[in-house]
Amino acid sequence: MTDGLPRYPDYDVLRKRNTVSWNDPTRTAIDRRLAVDRDPHTLTEGEFATLQAICDRVVPQEQGPDLVPIAAYVDQELTLDLSLGYRYAGLPPAKEAWHRAIAALDAESVKAFDAPFVAVDAARRDTLLTRMQKGELKDPAWGDMAPDLFFKQHVLVDIVAAYYAHPTAWSRIGYGGPASPRGYVRMGFGMRDPWEAAEAHPGEEAKAARKNRNV
Amino acid sequence: MSDKILTNREPLRSGLDLEAMHRPRARNGRAPDPHVPGGWFPMREHREDEAVDFAIVGTGAGGGVLAARLAEMGFSVVAFDAGPYFRPLEDFASDETAQSQLFWTDRRVTDGENPLKLGSNNSGKAVGGSTVHYAMVALRQRPESFRSRTKQGFGADWPVDWREMWHYYAEAEEALKISGPISYPWGPSRPRYPYRQHDLNAAALTLAKGAEKLGIKWTETPLATLSAPRGKSPPCVYRGFCRVGCSTNAKQSMLVTFIPRAIKAGAEVRDLAMVGRIETDKQGLATGLHYHRDGAWRFQRARNVVVAGYAIETPRLLLNSASDRHRHGLANSSGLVGKYLMTQSNVAVWGEMDEEVRWNKGPPSLAITEHWNYDDSKDFFGGYIHMSQGPLPVEWASVHTGARGLWGKALQDEMAKYNHMVGLKMVGEMMPQERNTVTLADEEDQYGLKVARVTYSWCDNDKAMIEHSLDFMGRQLEASGARNVWRQPDDTNHLAGTARMGDNRRTSVVDTNCRSWDVPNLFVCDGSVFPTTGGVNPSLTIQALALRTADRIQALARRGEL
Amino acid sequence: MISLPDLLMPSRSGRDARARRALATLSRQASALRSAPRVPAVLAPKGPPAAKSVVVGSAQKLNQASGVLAFSVLTDSALEHYRGSFRNRAMFTPLVVSTLALAASVHGTADDRPDVHVARDVVFGLTALTGLIGTGFHVYNVGSRQGGYRWLNFFYRAPIGAPMAIAISGVLGNMSERLRRTPRGTPPTLYGLDAGKALSLFTALSLAGTTGEAWLLHFRGNFQNPFMYTPVTIPPASGALLADAALRGGASRRSAARAGMIATALAGLAGTGFHMRGVARMMGGWRNWTQNLLDGPPIPTPPAFTGLALAGLAALDLLERRDD
Repeated sequence: MTDGLPRYPDYDVLRKRNTVSWNDPTRTAIDRRLAVDRDPHTLTEGEFATLQAICDRVVPQEQGPDLVPIAAYVDQELTLDLSLGYRYAGLPPAKEAWHRAIAALDAESVKAFDAPFVAVDAARRDTLLTRMQKGELKDPAWGDMAPDLFFKQHVLVDIVAAYYAHPTAWSRIGYGGPASPRGYVRMGFGMRDPWEAAEAHPGEEAKAARKNRNV
Repeated sequence: MSDKILTNREPLRSGLDLEAMHRPRARNGRAPDPHVPGGWFPMREHREDEAVDFAIVGTGAGGGVLAARLAEMGFSVVAFDAGPYFRPLEDFASDETAQSQLFWTDRRVTDGENPLKLGSNNSGKAVGGSTVHYAMVALRQRPESFRSRTKQGFGADWPVDWREMWHYYAEAEEALKISGPISYPWGPSRPRYPYRQHDLNAAALTLAKGAEKLGIKWTETPLATLSAPRGKSPPCVYRGFCRVGCSTNAKQSMLVTFIPRAIKAGAEVRDLAMVGRIETDKQGLATGLHYHRDGAWRFQRARNVVVAGYAIETPRLLLNSASDRHRHGLANSSGLVGKYLMTQSNVAVWGEMDEEVRWNKGPPSLAITEHWNYDDSKDFFGGYIHMSQGPLPVEWASVHTGARGLWGKALQDEMAKYNHMVGLKMVGEMMPQERNTVTLADEEDQYGLKVARVTYSWCDNDKAMIEHSLDFMGRQLEASGARNVWRQPDDTNHLAGTARMGDNRRTSVVDTNCRSWDVPNLFVCDGSVFPTTGGVNPSLTIQALALRTADRIQALARRGEL
Repeated sequence: MISLPDLLMPSRSGRDARARRALATLSRQASALRSAPRVPAVLAPKGPPAAKSVVVGSAQKLNQASGVLAFSVLTDSALEHYRGSFRNRAMFTPLVVSTLALAASVHGTADDRPDVHVARDVVFGLTALTGLIGTGFHVYNVGSRQGGYRWLNFFYRAPIGAPMAIAISGVLGNMSERLRRTPRGTPPTLYGLDAGKALSLFTALSLAGTTGEAWLLHFRGNFQNPFMYTPVTIPPASGALLADAALRGGASRRSAARAGMIATALAGLAGTGFHMRGVARMMGGWRNWTQNLLDGPPIPTPPAFTGLALAGLAALDLLERRDD
């Protein structure tokens, strides 16, 4: 609690999987999400490694069993040619945009640090990503695609949406997760249904953890 | 199946990948009953080579209502929808990502100074259209909004009297059993809402608290989700997934209200049927439409065609239906098809509360104030409402990335505050401008049809309204006790315009009956006909207008003018 | 607690007019023989009284009524205050008090001694007081949220009528103890009024109040099922018949009121059935009981009408005795 952010000790939204909070279509959808193929189908191995390196900086995660395979979701999205429902005129279709951006980012990395993106350290990766966000990268590999637009529309959208669609992320922020047929009863300030995450108030971490094991 | 976690690696699939997404369900004399898992209604079918009275393109707030009313009047009706025919009880997951199955995600290009975001917040692809995933906010435009040019000095007048619209509003509210306050605090008196208001969640109480501190009125939002049982629909269980589809049928979408009515009255609904072109004869009259279903292009003959595809697909279809006689697209002698596109501003302010809020519980916008629609002491044209909010995690993350460009630990720290966040979001009237358009891009979609290019730029008045709302909502949120209040200045949502109605064939696309000036057996029935967009969510106005259009068509038929 | 013959019989003592008259004579004689000062029931000599008086029978019926009400309040406040997460410790009060009232009522129902039982009397007094204080809490709760006393808060905040149900239970218990104290041979009175009349009017008033509560919540539910009109028609109409019988007297008015009370009692029981069906109709039905028992129609509340109808029947017994 040093940073003052809410904590939900021992809360795992997947504990609710077999409760009345989840219906069959939800179980199917989440099961498929958890069983995502971790190997790339659209990106090459090399591109995929670079994508993973980008994901590590955009949504830093601790190594462990709960690690969200973000890059795999992004690759899957490209394979299925999923779309948000619009594309900015300055951007090519998603697949082409990612191929081009990864190549350009490597070119920028080599130019700035004499090593491809996957081989530079976190601080340098952040430098490159920040410059991409600000539109300061100019390598010809970008072609007519604006790096800042790509960053806003793909780096931030594709990667972040993949992470926050994952139960691990839900548990982290104390989100109740799927809710059908059972919704919620207690809606007022400071009110919690027994099947919601319990926030640990200072000195009551054990109490919250106990509640969270019984959602 | 439900208890087994899939351990084998499934072939690559997204979300649910339902059968309904790939194979039409409404056929062989039956259509899915949305209230019964695996259930069916008997459905009358029409031959393609015999002209039906009405072929309707789209089954959303406009087309769904019109199909039901015309069928109930005894006309033969076939309604087409490009999307699948869902049974929410068995098809809808409680999941933002999987439920993107409801959105129109076909290829579209956006540009202009302020390119629009399309898809989740304004474009549906399902029987029932966007009403399957809308936020259910059911509001009436203030009377003066129908005479913006004359009474308020901007935009264009509607060729419709507000009293007539208010009559149809009441009819639409009754048909959808809107849950709303006993008495509504703004505008001329209206009948009591058919169902009682819902209770407020903490997010809505925050709006009320701030409003009371600033001395403005607030009320419970009139919503198209049930507060008590209705037939086979149970009341809302406050699961909060409204904007990705209601899996309980408490939401009174077209899918569970007017579509069953239409089928019962003898209309046929064809799902997964993408209409690509309206055919016209030498006289310039519509003779039917070409549609894609089951992997092939087909043709349905019709005596009248109604386009109800909303403000992008409607002009796209009209433009894609150009012929020798209609070189610039159907119904386009005015040159205004695809012009005067309007969106509504949807900017917001967000802040943190000390107490737990858990804003994902309940419908997203349970409390509302229309203060700035009815207060005329503003330095800009138009008005806006603002409402409480409750975005789900993926959408909430997109606010941080989109409006603030956050990533890394900064993003994760902000997201950690999820259960303590509150927000106020406006729906504001943006000006009709001829330069905001839907045109055809030089690209094709999966059907081989030219895709829409959507061009949008805000004008000074739009910017003044946005600034006003951000300032006011920020003060209100702070007055409610929120800390670290910040702005999301870029969001937009609903669409309108692109086939505007009017009194003059040179300055409008359709007349007061929503009939094309150029093609007398062609009608438009959706938000495209709005000359101005008003400062409220458009669905109820589209529904009311569809009810009115049905009555107008019946009157035309009786006079032999059809 | 309630048997159907109980409800349908005019009164235990009224089954046979001759027996009733004989009983009355006996009771007058017994009363005349007794001259000792009254002692509290706990100190009263044990052993069955020679014959049970009508008044004690009515007192026992009132205990049934107060018991049914206490049970309704106990279960309803347990559910509703659980829903409110017992945020305020005072929210446990109605559970404790209605449990005590229920126990006292059961005890009183089984006790046919013609005297006040101090412990019971204290419990019922406390119960009535709790109801009044609880009403104050609920009135405050409604007004304390944004919007104050507006429909929204009457619909969804603490129901103002609910604590009144426990107050009524306490008053009925209190009346039961007062009735038991009636000296043999004297017409029973309550708070200085004729007992039959007082109880009838109190019951009629309570029915009206409970009807108001049912109306509010059924209006919130938009009377979506026509049977939802039952509790806002039969009980108040029956209450009016009861008041009429009390004020104007007469066998036919009493019969009509008795029919009304029986209908009200049955309506209360049927309401429980309807509410259980209502829970089944919510999303997820009984499988989703953790939500629907709280969000669906409250199963414990309709029997409150049954409890009040029992009080009405007891009142009718007393009226019958007065007018004979």
